[in-house]
Amino acid sequence: MFERFKQDARDVVKGAVAQAERAGAQSVGTEHLLLALLDSEGSRASFALSALGLAERREPVRAALEQARRRGGLTQAETDALAGLGIDVPEVVARVEEAHGAGALSRSGKGGVRWPGHRPFEQEAKDVLTGAMRAATARRDRHIGDEHILLALTVRPGVPAEVLADHGVTYESVTRVLYGNGGQAKAG
Amino acid sequence: MYVDNMTDATDLAERAGDGDPRVGLRAVAALRRLLERLETVQVRNARRQGWSWQEIATELGDSRQAVHKKYGRQ
Repeated sequence: MFERFKQDARDVVKGAVAQAERAGAQSVGTEHLLLALLDSEGSRASFALSALGLAERREPVRAALEQARRRGGLTQAETDALAGLGIDVPEVVARVEEAHGAGALSRSGKGGVRWPGHRPFEQEAKDVLTGAMRAATARRDRHIGDEHILLALTVRPGVPAEVLADHGVTYESVTRVLYGNGGQAKAG
Repeated sequence: MYVDNMTDATDLAERAGDGDPRVGLRAVAALRRLLERLETVQVRNARRQGWSWQEIATELGDSRQAVHKKYGRQ
């Protein structure tokens, strides 16, 4: 699968594993891919993120991801949907953390024994990498760069796409800064 | 204008209750995700306190096999 990945895309995949390790997560999720992208330098994704002003807003992005993690990976939209049912998610999180410790809801339900050094990619993260291949194909790019991973993250519903959109990073804005106005063909 | 917005908000709240399927389905999907996380926290806590899979299953209203298959090896 990774033959067509350029070095910067491979660096993001490796960086995501490192981010998961640092966070003490048992598996690599889409948020780790985004965190790795935020650290990329001299690549097309880093150019796009800088052009859209995200380089100076890394901390708010990290904070938003951390907040979503503590909510058990619920997006703000999901939190609002639950509020519509009368369920106050921040209150639920506060009570669970009070009884079971900070970040109690953030831990993944699966995983079993923690093998040091072995962190599987969650299905959602695998889907993003597949989406990156599709994004490259849609643009007739032979190789997959980290910008395709970024594009795939923006179209997959979930916390990273929501946080990116909150900061003006969408499929449309990324294609605009990378390819000018010829950025049609949407793929995810 | 203000009254219109208030009416919109009320409409939305009513749709969330029973009308608009999209709003309702999204809320259910979100609730399911939250439920999964809550269950994980509670099952782990019970195991830490020495509860058997059977005892946990009884409280959850599930079979022992189902609970063990989902949370075993932790």
